Parts: sequence; C-alpha cells; structure tokens
Amino acid sequence: MLDGFEILTTSGIVLWRKQYAPVSSNVINSLINDVFIEDRGQKNTDGGSNPPYRKDKYTLRWTSAKDVGLIFVAVYQSLLHLSWVDNLLTAVRALFTKQYATELKKPHLTKLNTSDFDHTFDALVRKLDTGSTRRQSEPDSDAAAPTQLTPPSSSASVGEAAEDDDLPPPMPTAPQFKKPAIPQRQQQDDDTTSTDITPVPTPDTSRPTTPSQPPSHILTGKAGPGKASRRARKANASSAFNTSAPVSSRDEGPANRKGKGGKGSSVKQKRRWDADGFAADGEDDTVLDYSAPAGTNDTGTTEERDLDINNINADRMGSRTGKGQFILKDLDDEVDAILASSKPTTASSATPSTTSDSSAGLLGSASSRITGLFRNVVGGKTLSKQDLQQPLQQMQTHLLEKNVAREAAERLCTSVETDLLDQKTASFTSIDKTIRESMSKALTRILTPTSSLDLLRNITSTTEGAGRRPYVISIVGVNGVGKSTSLSKIAYFLLQNQFRVLVVAADTFRSGAVEQLGVHVSRLSELSRRENVGTIELYEKGYGKDAATLARDAVTHATNAGKGGGEMLFDVVLIDTAGRRHNDTRLMSSLTKFGQLANPDKIFMVGEALVGTDSVAQARNFAKEFVDTKGKLRNNGIGMDGFIISKCDTVGDMVGTLVSMVHATGIPVVFLGVGQHYGDLRGLNVGWAVDKLMR
Amino acid sequence: MANSGALDQWMTWAFSPTISAVLVAFLITLLSPVVLHYYLYRKSASKELPSFLLLGPLGAGKTSLLTLFANGTASSTHTSQEPQSAVCQLPLSIRSSEDQYRSENDTSARSQPKFLLLDTPGHGKLRRHAQSSLTTASALKGLIFVVDSAAVSSASGLTEAAEYLHEVLLLLQKRHTQGKTSKDPQAIPVLVAANKQDVFTSLPVGLVKSKLEGEIAKVRQTRSKGLLDSGIGMEDESGADEEGNWLGEYGAKEFRFTQMEEHGVEVTTVGGNVRGEGEEKGFVSDWWSWIGENI
Repeated sequence: MLDGFEILTTSGIVLWRKQYAPVSSNVINSLINDVFIEDRGQKNTDGGSNPPYRKDKYTLRWTSAKDVGLIFVAVYQSLLHLSWVDNLLTAVRALFTKQYATELKKPHLTKLNTSDFDHTFDALVRKLDTGSTRRQSEPDSDAAAPTQLTPPSSSASVGEAAEDDDLPPPMPTAPQFKKPAIPQRQQQDDDTTSTDITPVPTPDTSRPTTPSQPPSHILTGKAGPGKASRRARKANASSAFNTSAPVSSRDEGPANRKGKGGKGSSVKQKRRWDADGFAADGEDDTVLDYSAPAGTNDTGTTEERDLDINNINADRMGSRTGKGQFILKDLDDEVDAILASSKPTTASSATPSTTSDSSAGLLGSASSRITGLFRNVVGGKTLSKQDLQQPLQQMQTHLLEKNVAREAAERLCTSVETDLLDQKTASFTSIDKTIRESMSKALTRILTPTSSLDLLRNITSTTEGAGRRPYVISIVGVNGVGKSTSLSKIAYFLLQNQFRVLVVAADTFRSGAVEQLGVHVSRLSELSRRENVGTIELYEKGYGKDAATLARDAVTHATNAGKGGGEMLFDVVLIDTAGRRHNDTRLMSSLTKFGQLANPDKIFMVGEALVGTDSVAQARNFAKEFVDTKGKLRNNGIGMDGFIISKCDTVGDMVGTLVSMVHATGIPVVFLGVGQHYGDLRGLNVGWAVDKLMR
Repeated sequence: MANSGALDQWMTWAFSPTISAVLVAFLITLLSPVVLHYYLYRKSASKELPSFLLLGPLGAGKTSLLTLFANGTASSTHTSQEPQSAVCQLPLSIRSSEDQYRSENDTSARSQPKFLLLDTPGHGKLRRHAQSSLTTASALKGLIFVVDSAAVSSASGLTEAAEYLHEVLLLLQKRHTQGKTSKDPQAIPVLVAANKQDVFTSLPVGLVKSKLEGEIAKVRQTRSKGLLDSGIGMEDESGADEEGNWLGEYGAKEFRFTQMEEHGVEVTTVGGNVRGEGEEKGFVSDWWSWIGENI
C-alpha cells in the first residue's frame, strides 16, 4: 500500500512520520522543490485534492494546512492505484490539527510529541484502505446509503450485450459478470467508469490462453523500477486488491467461473499506453470507456441510454437551410445557452447575500462599515475572500497595465489570494498594503533564479583545465527581436574580458544576415585591436545551407582537435540562428536537430520587452523544442538556459514581459538589452524589476 | 450655573484641611509614581535575547542543527521553505563569555544564557529571508554559515557555497564601511561550520577553508569584471563603486578570511557533524564553544 506518510512543517522539520518501506528523503525534497518553491506543478487553490506528483517510481499526494504551516505527504509506488489516499490526507489533516491545536499555535515550534498519533493513523488507514479500487467521489461516501446494486445473476441478462464495449465481440453469449474484485464492499453507482475500477468483461473464447494472473504457485518477481513487465505489474496490481479467494485465470477452468458466479475473479484490464511506449497501469481517473456503465439501476434505463447514443441531436449542432444544406450553428448561440443555464445558479447565489444585507438594517450596516474601515486602518483584520476580491482585482489590472500577460497576472493574483486568505493583517497596515507586500514577495520569488548565472566563471572553467573545449552559446528567438544585436553585445562583453570569440552565421535564410554579422565582427575586431583585448572572427558558409551542420562544423573548427595536437583556436563560439515564428512547426522542429548537433552549453532565447501576451506562447514553444537524443528536455527538464529581454529602454516602466516569460517556463532572465550600442547590456537586478512593476 | 456651583463645592472641599482630603492627597502622591513605574517598565521588561542567524546553501544541515541545538536530538528534516526560530540554551559544559572571570572550580549555581537561533531556507529563490534578517535583526550576535563538507569537494557545490558566502561577507563589509554614523555598527562574527564531517567523502576542515577562500577569490574577480546591474541608476553610491564591491583587500590576488578583519568581520572555520554515523551522537561542542564566546 502506502510506502510512507509524513507530516512536516513549512520550515522542513518532520513532526511525524510513518514508513512502511524505506523511502529516501530526496523524493519529498524534490516535491517541495518543484511544487512549492519553483511552482512547476499546479496547485489547487480551493484546498481540494491536489494533482499527484511523480518522481522516479513513486507517486506523492499531498495537502497542506496553511494556517498552522503544515504539509501532509503520502508516498506510494506508482504502480499501485490507491483511490483512498485523498480521503486519508483530508482526514489526517483535520484530526492532526485538531489534536495538536494548542501546541501548534506556540511560537518556536521545533518538536512535537506525536506518539499517540500513531494509533489514530493506523485506525484511519484500516478504515479507509478498503483495498478496493473504488472511485472516490464525496468524502462521506462511506456513510451514504448503498445504491442499488444488481446482483450478478441479473447482470448476465439483457443489458450486457449493449455494455460490451471495445473488444471485438464475436460471441457475447457467454455469461459475463461485472462484479469487481471485492464483492463484499459497497459500490458506488457510477455513471462514469474508470478503466481500472470496472473490470472489463472478456468473452473467454476470444482470448488466447495467456493467464491474466499467474496461478499462485508460480512466484512472481517484485516489480522493478520503470520497465517491469506488464504481467508482473498486473500481478502486483491485482494482488493488492484481491483479498478474496485466490483465483485462477479466467481462461482456465470455465467451470470454476460459472460455479462461483463471479466471486472475485481476476479481470483483464484494458491496456493503455503511456508516453514512453510502455503499457501503463493507469494512475489517472480519466474515463476512456464511454459505453454504458456497469450495474445500472434497471434494464430500462440502459435501453434508453442506448437510444441516447443514436439520438445525438443534429439540430443541436446546426440547422438546415432551405436548400437542405447543413449549416453549423453560430458560436454565439451556444454561449447564450450556457449563460442561460448558469444564470439561475448565479441568481440563486446572489439572493441570499442581498437578503442578509437588507435584514441588517441601516444602522447596523453603517456601524459595520465604520468598524470595517477602522479595522482596515488599524490592522488585525482577518481577511476573507470578499475582502480580498476588490483589491486583488485592482492589483490584477495594475499588473496588466504593466504589460504582464493575462495568464501570468491571474495566476499571481490567485496565489496571493491563497496565501492571504484567513490571515490577519499586521498592525497599521491596510488590506491594500498587505496585498502589495505579498505581491512583491511573489514577484521576487518568481524572478530570482535558483542559481545565478556567472557566465565568465562557466567559460573559464570549461576552457581551462583538463578536457578543455570551446564554450558554445547559441541564440534563438522569433523574427526581429534583436538576436544579432544581442549577440554582438555579448561578443563585446566577452572581448573586454580577453576571450577569443568565434561568431557563427547560422542564419542561412534571411538575406543580409551574414553581411550584418560581418559588419559587427569587423567593427568589434577594430575595437578590440585598438584596446588590445581578445580576438573575434566570423565563420560563415553563405546562404541556403543547413544551419545545424554548419554549427557543428564551426564548433569542430574552433576546437581544432585534429591535425596532431592542435590548440583550441577559440574560447567561445557564438551561434546566431534564423528567426522563426513559434507556431511554424516545420521551422521549430529543425531547432531540435540544431540543439542535438551543435550541443551548445547555453541556449538563450531573445524576447523583446514590447511583446504582449504572445510572449507566453513564444517562450513555451521554444522551450519544448530542445530535447536531447533521449527525449528529455535539456537543462534538467527546462529546455533553455536563459532569456535575454531586449529593447528594455523602449518600455519604461512596463517591464511585465519579464514576469510573463519566466512564469510560463521557469527559465530565468539572464540579460537585459537597454540600448543600441555595444555596451548596452545589463544583468537583471530583481529589486529594480519588482520596484518598477509595483510602482 | 449649576455646573460652576458643583465645581466650586468640590474645589472648596479639596483645599480644606479635612482628614479625607489630606488622605486622598497622600495616596495620590504615593501611588502615582508606582503606577507610572509599572506601566513604563512593563513594556521594556522583556529583554531581547541575543540572536544568531543560520545561513548556508541548500542541504547543508541548517534545520537539523536548529533542532539539535533546541531539543538535544536532531530530527529528520526536509527542504525548508520558511524561516524558523527557536530558543536554545547553552549546555552546562560550555562556558560563556559572561563567565570569563569565574574560576573553573566555582560551583555556585548559574543559569546558562539563552539565545535565539534563526534558521533560514537555503534554496536559491528563498535567500531574501536571510538577507532581510541580516539587515533588520537588532540583537544579532553572530552568523553561522553551515557548509556541507562533502558537497564542497565537487565543483558545483563549492561554487554555490562560495557565491553565497561571498554575498554574505560583502553585505557585512558594506554595512561596516557605509555606516552613516561615526560609531561603528556592532561587529558580527561569522562561523563557517563545516558540517557532515562524519561522511566518508567529506574534506577536512583546513581544506574546506582553503577551497572556499580560493573560490571566493575567483568569484570576486568575475564579479568585478561582470556586467553592470540593471538597477544602476537607482542608488548612485553603491552601484559603480569598484572598491566597495571588492571583498577584503582591494586589488589583492588571493583572498584570505583574515582580510575581513579590517572590516570588523571575524571569520572562523570549525568542523563538526550534526548527526553521527548510525547511532552515534553528533559532535558539535566546538560550535557550542564558539557561540558561548560570542554570546
């Protein structure tokens, strides 16, 4: 089942832990790193169930109690599908915070005597771990009255023929039973089925004799990480759930099956393929089987549902003209329909609030408003959703005015809201001020890189010492953002630091690209000759050639490894590429080949500060192109190494593009271009950027 | 009219030589200073504890150190996201600076001083907690920079530790040289705690020190040659000041921790380990003695 369960504080101290199997601590560390600190996963803001996090062969599910600063994490093997873990997390959170409420409120909490929590936890696990793969709907589903179940005998009747789904059904005559593995437990009447839960009936004659579960006298090896054989994984999965009488495979002994009438048989689960090309024993609850569900109320409804399938209303999708042509309905109508259906719900939710307001009376409302105002000034006010709504809206508009993309602004505002909900404001700070502080903290955290780039250190460590080779930097971006200009600024900076630079004109498409770089190189070489600093040269092969092979040849030329102990000719290789639209798939895919052949140490993407919401899409599309030969994104699964934001002098205060691009991809901003001269290149000062954004 | 009449009456009674008036005056003169004293000194009754700040790169062992000092046993920890503070007390075997004039054989009862230990996250994105604590903490008596001795042997771990240490020392140096008043701000000593000495691949303390010094020299060199910050126009004084941004002795090729002493920052390197191998207890007494000297 579970491999481990931990309760830890936000400052990292483990308050309580239960380990069923040894789990190395770097699994939870990477959860904290990726989800909480770097925000790579998605967090649910309503405190509901969070999406699971996967690392190596483990799946982690987690929840947090923000008011006391606790995180609850459950770790289990990815091969298992445990549907009760969310319930467990919610229950543990409620019980733990209630049991240790007084101690958790003390300041300076570093230790908690949690020995009596072990019993509570064990009892919870015993209660919730039904061992079935029952789909969890509401948390109190245990208490709900069991819905109508069809006994197995009736399931073999009429309805089944229609529910037989994907398998080629040559002979549906054999009685098929829909019982899941554990018959004693109550079962939800689900309208939707998950492939793992509802066993799919297979007509026995159509299947070859491979047993879906090996007979018990054959030992099965434990599932290794990753590529366990499908059979072994099925054995693991089904062995976790089958607690009733040991069963033989369905293909053996048909007499067995008929006799038992469906008590605890092994089932053939649907095969699904995941992205790596392995048969995945599904984790997610996505519904792939949309045929009519198992065990419905009575046969009448199943028949109706059959008819429903045929009755897909043609007139819901469009209308026929007089000539008999079918014209699709306008989108407006659909939107109107949706709004009409949602209006009653909003009206009903609005009325209670208005009635409560009117009942308060004039005096009551005036005094509450005055005290609210007073509390706003003095501080100490507990923030509710309603308090935060209006100021957050203003904050979001403010960010949008600063040229932050809408998606990024919305996510920032929701994260600030989740942080501030039910917190008390400090003394003498108004709500506005609290929100501003929280927002600048969130912006600082986004813009601060995990490890700052020291380009000169990286270059010197690659070009000196054992295994020296040139340092390769390449610049990519859409058309016209300033790639060649930024490249020459970087070349100037490196020249001032006494490096030998090779500029590679790998833009073989645009007319004049090679000449442009030629002009830059001649100017820079003249400058460097006068000041007696490094050397710079241009490597070009004209137009029309393949950029990837050109880049690779340039790197070999710079390395000069052949010809009997040649010395490295250049320290740094700067590769300029052609601009391409991020939605042009053909050109974007050629970037992958470029990345693999040239194998640069750093890939920088240039984005201009003037671009608006397009920046998010640009950043994402470029980042996902750079995969290495194994299909993994380079640079630890991020893609690129940094952004260069050019033309920052043209936007003044509205530097929101910084935030949008970093927020979309997690790649830090490395340089800023602030002018059209060679020296106009700056590093990013996070305080300056946040100050400009919040001004 | 009626008002003035009542006032008149009251004033007449107050100035008359009746026993009750004398008694009231007597009580007021005695009690009001006492009340005033309690009111004033209640506010400042809580003396601020001396505090020490724990810094260091990710995974150095700061949070475990905090739990060890506070509770006596190290709990298991994960990556910190928030700063944490704990009140710790010097163990009985350690002498503090207050006891420097006591004889060692003095057996009179004395209570060991308490101090506040502040733990900060080491992750790159969360460094601002440490920086804000450095600049705003009032009774800061010392800084403990925890380093993983085994990670320092690799190039990336060494670079990370050295960059962070460089940043911290530069902050302290600037605080010292750019003080606005003629009186120097109180000096904050730094302890570089080489943790995880029990791990097989850890480097000895002397080697950790020299490696850090060498790496800091390289870092300060590339920082001086690097690009200007985008926030240059913001504060004119500290921006382009070359000498101000150079750690230690200006223009010196090598960096030694002793160069920091002219700025009032005393750096000592001491080794130890928070957790022992297997069931052994950790060895942290040298760190305790440093804290005791500087409390």
